[in-house]
Amino acid sequence: MALPLPPGLTPPEIAFLCEMELVTVIPRQRLEGLELLGGRLPPLNPPHRTPLPLWLALLLKRQRRANILPPPWLAPHSLTAILDHETNKEEGFSPPPRLPPLAASSTALAFSPPFLASSTAEAAPDALPYHWLEIGEMLLEAASDDFEEPDSVRKLLRGLREVRMAKLRKGVELLYADGGIQLNGVGAMEVSEGRAFVTGVIDNLRKIGASREQQRKDRDREDRENGYPSTADYDDDEMEMQ
Amino acid sequence: MDIDDLLAEVTADAVPQQQRDLQELTRAWIAERVAPELLPYPAELMERVLERIRRQIELVEDQTGNLDPKANFKLIIIQTELERFKFLVRSFLRARIKKIDTHPLHLLALHQNPPSSTSILNPLLSPSELQYLNTHQSLLSTHYSSSFLSQFPNSLQRLDDTAGGISMVDKPDEETAVFVRCLRDVGEVWVEGTDNRFQMKRGDVWVVRWSAVRGWVGEGSCELI
Repeated sequence: MALPLPPGLTPPEIAFLCEMELVTVIPRQRLEGLELLGGRLPPLNPPHRTPLPLWLALLLKRQRRANILPPPWLAPHSLTAILDHETNKEEGFSPPPRLPPLAASSTALAFSPPFLASSTAEAAPDALPYHWLEIGEMLLEAASDDFEEPDSVRKLLRGLREVRMAKLRKGVELLYADGGIQLNGVGAMEVSEGRAFVTGVIDNLRKIGASREQQRKDRDREDRENGYPSTADYDDDEMEMQ
Repeated sequence: MDIDDLLAEVTADAVPQQQRDLQELTRAWIAERVAPELLPYPAELMERVLERIRRQIELVEDQTGNLDPKANFKLIIIQTELERFKFLVRSFLRARIKKIDTHPLHLLALHQNPPSSTSILNPLLSPSELQYLNTHQSLLSTHYSSSFLSQFPNSLQRLDDTAGGISMVDKPDEETAVFVRCLRDVGEVWVEGTDNRFQMKRGDVWVVRWSAVRGWVGEGSCELI
């Protein structure tokens, strides 16, 4: 009954998540609107472009009921530009797509990938969304005839993946016990691949330094209770540690 | 408040409840799969989702006899989506049961004496989870005592001993590092016991200790990934 998996999502689960991303399809057949559990499905009227979740788009594509319009960032010239940027930039990944404006009221639900429409035909052409690798792979596998140059897209995706994995591996040198590492623009698969190693290193470093940290914690707590920092003790402790 | 904010408010309200629930359920599932400890049970959300699933199953049962090929294809779509939802719910509940099985006594204590920060609306365990925990635990302790514990001296028979300053009750490690994404600007985050302070802004992805961001995840300003 209990789930026998370690913490963190497995690659098939990430693919499942990615299938909730919206993509733009050009239907070849009519289909009435449907009430689904995740919201209303818009009616399909060929040849009107319609945004659909990827799982449904793939289902329609496989039965030749629709064509999928690849997102603009999957075009060879966009990928080339992103790859150049990624290769020339030493630190960090290329920036993620711009976020839509946020609701002003603090109680409103904030949407996040895979529900941000970052892979429809209207998406930004210059940024890789969170599920870039999975979307690219799935579309190339199921709908390669909808691409103009599927082979060059495949090659560019592979290049991007290698450059970014190299960065993730290089970032290992920066790991330390406090956590607090910024990874803006990271992809879902990259998180999944790096999770066990990154969190493992951080957790173990923390356990090595646990006693010193406990000391520090007790002192901070004391300071807070006293209402002023006990500077004398602070210096003493620093001496001991050196 | 500028025009962007106004537009955002209008669009946020226009998003139907179903879509919002899917986002919330997906988020809750990922969080439960990633977080080192059990999170409060989202009772209202689960009630809405389960009710919709029940209605959709009834619809499928009603229409299965329909032999019209067009209606048949619609049914395939509905069933595919239904299976996806069922997977989400099932995986979510199973991830919770795993945590309940790992730390039963700790969770029972937490459920009975919740820390003041948790709201009364969302208790830690759902009624059926609590029932599962109690029954499972009583089966286990009966089994232990009949197979070997009863042979021990009285003072060694307890399962929640705290003698010698060490508690027998296992707890999850709250300092585990997690990957987190900010949904709103949360300002300065401080990792207790270290000098590490940093600003977390909307859209940022950080690797940080669970204990430092737990509050933000609970109120929906951050999500686990």
